[in-house]
Amino acid sequence: MDSGKVKFFLAEVLRNFSRNTGMQVTAIGTVAITIVLLGLFLFVRAAIADAGRQLLDEISVSAYLRTDVTPLQVRAIAHFLAQDPRVASVQYVPKKQGLAELRERTKGTIDVALLTENPLPDKFRIKARVADDVPAIAASVRRLSGVDNVVYGQKIVQRLLQLGAVLRRISIAVIVVFVAVAGIIIANTIRLTVFARRREIAIMQLVGATNTYIRLPFICEGLLDGLIGALVATVLLAIARAALWPRLLEALPWAQLTVVPVDGRLLTLELFAVGAAIGVLASWVSVGRHLRT
Amino acid sequence: MISLRGVSLVYPNGVRALDNITLEIAKGDFVFLVGDSGTGKSSLLRLLYREAASTTGEIIVDGIRVDRLRRSRVPALRRHLGVVFQDFKLLVDKTVWENVAFAMQVTGAHTRDVMRQVPRVLDLVGLSHKSRMYPGELSGGEQQRAAIARALVNNPKILLCDEPTGNLDPANTTEITALLLRINLKGTTVVVATHNQAVVDRMRRRVVRLEDGRIAADEERGYYYLGLRESQVLSG
Repeated sequence: MDSGKVKFFLAEVLRNFSRNTGMQVTAIGTVAITIVLLGLFLFVRAAIADAGRQLLDEISVSAYLRTDVTPLQVRAIAHFLAQDPRVASVQYVPKKQGLAELRERTKGTIDVALLTENPLPDKFRIKARVADDVPAIAASVRRLSGVDNVVYGQKIVQRLLQLGAVLRRISIAVIVVFVAVAGIIIANTIRLTVFARRREIAIMQLVGATNTYIRLPFICEGLLDGLIGALVATVLLAIARAALWPRLLEALPWAQLTVVPVDGRLLTLELFAVGAAIGVLASWVSVGRHLRT
Repeated sequence: MISLRGVSLVYPNGVRALDNITLEIAKGDFVFLVGDSGTGKSSLLRLLYREAASTTGEIIVDGIRVDRLRRSRVPALRRHLGVVFQDFKLLVDKTVWENVAFAMQVTGAHTRDVMRQVPRVLDLVGLSHKSRMYPGELSGGEQQRAAIARALVNNPKILLCDEPTGNLDPANTTEITALLLRINLKGTTVVVATHNQAVVDRMRRRVVRLEDGRIAADEERGYYYLGLRESQVLSG
């Protein structure tokens, strides 16, 4: 590689970048704001998704057995469930243990000791590997002989699954809008720099520079805008998280229980990728339009 | 070297800038394109370096069919040509050296070649001692010489000049004209669009007169008012 050529190219990019400081700051600021919003959004989405997953994880299927169930039937049911690949764990809860758990759960509110006999049937407590499979598992268990009734909080599971689907759709729409807005603003910024450099571009075209060559510095400029914007946004997000997270946990104690920490490294990587993509695409379109006229 | 056959150019607004032009320019020729403003001199040059595309006709420049040239091949054509303008078109924030080197660098030239070629053309136009100055620190004639150096730096076989002395005083005009002649003597084909009568009449080179987009006269060792009647000259 010709080091002189590289030096010339880098000098051109830096010169252009530093020449229109005001414009660059605007572009970088816009990208940063967009990415902060996007980051908050992704963060909240991931937190909600994790919370939902955790809630779903809590949900177990309770298969209550008939009072006249035979030990053979119990063993058959246990065997059937152990074979099912969708099932994560199966626990047999005899009625004695069920009553003990009930007593524990209702401590201080109801005195279970008032009961003269145990009204609870024996049951299986089944956990699914994936929350989406819960309804299907429940349906298959209900068909087995010896099973009286199956309960799994149908409404909650269905609501959560629906919420997840809606959330995914909304989040895609919101991300598209954010990225489009940032892209338009970068494109406009690059268009201004293209306009400021139109003499230079005309001369480059005149002496036979290829469009790719003319385009490259602007693409680098857009990339730089996007990456610096992403960097600023990431720093702001990190600061916000460090400053606000403890206070949030203080204000909302339940958040501590339900919200799992989001993977910050992956999020950062995503934000940088988004910033770079916005910058490159926007400047490509913007310069391309100029070169064709 | 340059060949036009039945070339017409109609701009999108309906103005017919050139009408059925047929013209041959041989290798090493020095040709003046003369005519009043708006008779199509600039349009003809713009066709040659493919800034405008002809409506009909065949254009060949240095063996390239310019009228059928794909957009992506335009840069290759321009590397065969040097173009000089009335307003110099120099970059004001670059030195003379940088302006000239720029034309090579943006075509992806090797630094070694840039370092060898730039001093050569600066020497040819007599600006070696001012290579570190900016265009704003130069006289008009010097700026035009820098522009000519830039046009020559890629070793074009053809130099196209659109009113190269239009912004210059008589002394600088003479200087630039002499430089163009010297470049021509080195074997470069030179085409100069001008309405500077003094230059044309002093040089007595081939003159092509355009009128309303047509060739009105074409003569070796011509003069500016070639093909015009006395009454037209006096009223013009």
